[in-house]
Amino acid sequence: MAALSEEVLLVVKRVRQRKQDGTLYLMTERIAWGPEGKDRFTVSHLYADIRCQKISPDGKAKIQLQLVLHTGESTTFHFANESTALKDRDAAKDLLQQLLPKFKKKANKELEEKNRMLQEDPVLFQLYKDLVVSQVISAEEFWASRLKLNSVDHALSNNNKQEVGISAAFLADIRPQTDGCNGLKYNLTSDIIESIFRTYPAVKQKYAENVPHNLTEKEFWTRFFQSHYFHRDRINTGQQDIFSECAKQDEKGLKSMVVQGVKNPMVDLMSLEDKTLDEGYGSLTALPNSSKTVKENSNSAIIKRFNHHSAMVLAAGLRKVEASSDQASETSSTDGNSRDSDFFQPPIKKVKLQEAIEYEDLQNESGPKTIALNLKKSDRYSHGPVPLQSHHYSTSQDIINSVSCIQEEISCYKPCLTRVMSSSAASSAITALSPGGVLMQAGAQQTISQLVSTDVQSELKHLYTAAGELLRHFWSCFPVNTPFLEEKVVKMQSNLERFQSTKLHPFQEKIQREYLSTNLTNHVEEMIQAAYNKFHAWQTRRMLRKT
Amino acid sequence: MKLNIDGLLVYFPYDYIYPEQYSYMLELKRTLDAKGHGVLEMPSGTGKTISLLSLIVAYQRTYPLEVTKLIYCSRTVPEIEKVIEELRKLMEFYTKETGEKNNFLALALSSRKNLCIHPEILHANIVVYSYHYLLDPKIADLVSKELAKKSVVVFDEAHNIDNVCIDSMSVNITRRTLDRCQTNVETLQNTIQRIKETDAAKLREEYRRLVEGLKEANVARETDIYLSNPVLPDEILQEAVPGSIRTAEHFVGFLKRFLEYLKARLRIHHVVQESSPQFLKDIYEKVCIDRKPLRFCAERLRSLLRTLEIADIADFSAVTLISNFATLVSTYSKGFTIIIEPFEDKTPTIVNPVLHFSCMDPSIAIKPVFERFQSVIITSGTLSPLDIYPRILDFRPVTMASFTMTLARTCLCPLIVGRGNDQVAMSSKFETREDFAVIRNYGNLLLEMSAIVPDGIVAFFTSYVYMENIVASWYEQGILENIQRNKLIFIETQDAAETSMALEKYQEACENGRGAILLSVARGKVSEGIDFVHHFGRAVIMFGVPYVYTQSRILKARLEYLRDQFQIRENDFLTFDAMRHAAQCVGRAIRGKTDYGLMIFADKRYARADKRGKLPRWIQEHITDGSLNLTIDETVQLSKHFLRQMAQPFRREDQLGLSLLTLEQLQSEEMLQKISQIAQQV
Repeated sequence: MAALSEEVLLVVKRVRQRKQDGTLYLMTERIAWGPEGKDRFTVSHLYADIRCQKISPDGKAKIQLQLVLHTGESTTFHFANESTALKDRDAAKDLLQQLLPKFKKKANKELEEKNRMLQEDPVLFQLYKDLVVSQVISAEEFWASRLKLNSVDHALSNNNKQEVGISAAFLADIRPQTDGCNGLKYNLTSDIIESIFRTYPAVKQKYAENVPHNLTEKEFWTRFFQSHYFHRDRINTGQQDIFSECAKQDEKGLKSMVVQGVKNPMVDLMSLEDKTLDEGYGSLTALPNSSKTVKENSNSAIIKRFNHHSAMVLAAGLRKVEASSDQASETSSTDGNSRDSDFFQPPIKKVKLQEAIEYEDLQNESGPKTIALNLKKSDRYSHGPVPLQSHHYSTSQDIINSVSCIQEEISCYKPCLTRVMSSSAASSAITALSPGGVLMQAGAQQTISQLVSTDVQSELKHLYTAAGELLRHFWSCFPVNTPFLEEKVVKMQSNLERFQSTKLHPFQEKIQREYLSTNLTNHVEEMIQAAYNKFHAWQTRRMLRKT
Repeated sequence: MKLNIDGLLVYFPYDYIYPEQYSYMLELKRTLDAKGHGVLEMPSGTGKTISLLSLIVAYQRTYPLEVTKLIYCSRTVPEIEKVIEELRKLMEFYTKETGEKNNFLALALSSRKNLCIHPEILHANIVVYSYHYLLDPKIADLVSKELAKKSVVVFDEAHNIDNVCIDSMSVNITRRTLDRCQTNVETLQNTIQRIKETDAAKLREEYRRLVEGLKEANVARETDIYLSNPVLPDEILQEAVPGSIRTAEHFVGFLKRFLEYLKARLRIHHVVQESSPQFLKDIYEKVCIDRKPLRFCAERLRSLLRTLEIADIADFSAVTLISNFATLVSTYSKGFTIIIEPFEDKTPTIVNPVLHFSCMDPSIAIKPVFERFQSVIITSGTLSPLDIYPRILDFRPVTMASFTMTLARTCLCPLIVGRGNDQVAMSSKFETREDFAVIRNYGNLLLEMSAIVPDGIVAFFTSYVYMENIVASWYEQGILENIQRNKLIFIETQDAAETSMALEKYQEACENGRGAILLSVARGKVSEGIDFVHHFGRAVIMFGVPYVYTQSRILKARLEYLRDQFQIRENDFLTFDAMRHAAQCVGRAIRGKTDYGLMIFADKRYARADKRGKLPRWIQEHITDGSLNLTIDETVQLSKHFLRQMAQPFRREDQLGLSLLTLEQLQSEEMLQKISQIAQQV
């Protein structure tokens, strides 16, 4: 059979696909099916391409498993072995359940990322169309440098990428349904399990402790749903319950949260009042009544649980961010006890107070917040791009020097009145220098934007970006010091050639047809030529070295 | 900018001003000019505090002989701190504009741990502290006694001032109090015995000093140096200390007898309610204690404690409480009631007798303040109806005005929801509050709103017990779980620390875009002290009308008193009280003109004129006929529309000339004309 190096994880015989009997193979990276008696696969899907799997409901005559791909296509397998069909199907399902998430995330993330980049960046999208869709370079080549580039750019933001939060109502989604024969059915998906674990680490710990050596997964969740822990009006959890410990931990966590107090002094109800009346004074006798009815107790337990649940859900979503923000808050909470002294006032309080008394509309805004310009070469910023000359480079210092030189000369310029032109010569010179005159032809030349239609302009622009992209790939290969780069530079060279023949030449022909000056594309040609020169130079040197 | 308020140069530390601020300052100036008291209602978020400070400070600087001090009272610690912060801003502006370092001394007193009774308080130009420092006679006597007559007193957030007054004068005595008192008296007796053996002269001296001390107070009161103390009645100053309590030993003996009498009174099996004279008559008949020594009790004890050089007065809080009670009950024949309950209504089997000595007349505690200081300003965002405050606090204001909020866009949207989609009336009234349909409709309202309101929603219930019940049945019906699909849920509990945490998490959830709902209680700490600015409160839902629990005997007695003494009908007062709390709750969400929020009144009774009419003017004027008795669906539609409008960008240019003015705009004749409409005189 094909691909001998692949490890086969599961083989299921007598699986029908399109009414044909065959065998289903689950490998490490893909799932495949081959018809009976043939040694090739007619169906093969990489796990990364699979969006989800679906199974036929229990009790249906046909026992099936359907794979839905990202592309929207689907493949259905029918397990036909009468005696073991259900078992076979479940084995395949369970294995897939384990395998799919591993690939899913990777594939999705990449696809999403690419999609996002193309959507956000119209120039990139155009480039993609110009280069990949027209098959100048392959999609992989296109993305190869892009994604890397991107990951460097966004290294920081990628690290801090927000995780998807948890729905507060995840427990609501498992609302039990009666199955008609005195039992309850809970729908539990891997998402919900993850939500439970993320929100209640204590349960996760219990799971790790007990499954699978003490309990099966099913038993574990059955007990979870039976326990008072799951029911929010729990008051006392039985000792025999494995979740009673979780409840205790929750209680402890809640208490410690309360003891920690709040960071924002503006919401601290404890220090809201300046003075409570002395004991015995006041008209309201809010004496703590110890005697609460059972119902009241259970009611307040529900309320406590809701607060706790919301806090846990919120914390689960923020857990990652917290690590970084904790440091900041730590430095600001070194206030000690001197609340009233201005000098030791905790900064957070000051900030909150300022916020509270601010009337944004009464004040003139202090201007929009600006972002500081981060210049690597400040002289280039102040003088603008200098046209690149073949041999002579002038640094900004040179320019400044020469300007001051000229200024100096002008300041000490003395007209030599004995050697002046005749008036006729002078007037003809003025005519020649006036607009429309012989010497002012260049100034009257129409700019390219007036000469060329906008279609051509935009086409030219696209050409430029595409060429730029290819050249960027090309030049990024230098210095060529690995075999991989060698290979790449050759490929890029041929890419450039292909670009020239499929894109540039047709364009040149087109502008010729429209009687436009061909020097529109001169610069692009020059750039490509420069690359060719470099390539040939490199190639000859390599030949020399080889011989 | 520098303003000309009716001829007074006022430094105002902002580049722009709201028209209502100008109007407010005008009224304030008039009040100060007339040396009278004022009641001013201006919505929160319109810069009330800075207007008050700017004007009064300017007044003090211009007329240093007319107004010597500003006493600014606020309710909570954060509010006090905010005032200080605004004052600092104003002072910085003064320094910047005038170029001279200001010589103003401002002082903030907060938290008794750091109580500052340094004489500096007498020299400060501005004192900022909590109500209690002025209204609670026990503290006022220590802190505020010597404040100059030519001071201006401001009570900010004063909508509950009557309750503060009543609290500061009411006393509750339990068995535990009496037991601790017993220990106190024994300690006193032992200490006296010891001193008598070592230093008998000291005790003789004590008696002499006591008489002199009282004489001093008498002189001071006559020459008007001190703020009078309602617990120190005039009579004691003029009369001699009665013989029965003249010496320390006799006084302790007297206290013992009084204590035994109180113990006997707590041994009852049914509720007793009586007036002060009845109590005095009974005590005279049973243990032969006269009215006169009772009246001297508080002062006599204070003198004794001083003599015995007792360091920690707090240990003697029980005996102090009893003696304060003795003085009050014998001084005021009116305005107080005594209720002795053998057990709590809820738990009739557990014996826990309490003697409530309840003040029913808030004017008793605040009377010295009105009498002493030339101008007292009562102000808040919600003081409607304005005329009730002068009646229950018994004073004659020279100005009473309510200011609206000028708005370039209608940023508040009050809606009165009266029915569910099934047409069942929604109401928290007693007969229907347990009704399944009502609870379900309330739940549906919250659920629907949670789906359309961005960020934070705050919902208030009429009482804690009611909220607990509703939350439990929403939980059973699965409503809460559906709400959780849209937002996180946080709930106020009776534990302040727990609630603080829930609040902070709530804000966190609003901040990070997740959105949250806070379920809370009217009259609770959250409703009274926490603001929900901007995204922290895009909608407030008031479930029901927050009437006070009317079955309490103390409340019944107070209602009776109000009816007999002030001709305020029970229902009027109850509605007024409920509506001021409702207004407080819904007002929490709007803190400024750039803010916006929905105010949802979920009870059909709000649509009635007697309820609606008691809302502050700035809310009332936005309730149209189209926003009455809505169904949930209609409410959702109107809310969606409102929220979509509010989400549009709102710039300064939109406001300028309408609800925000430059100095030039302010000076135009036309604008001044318009501004004069803002204040509605009552």
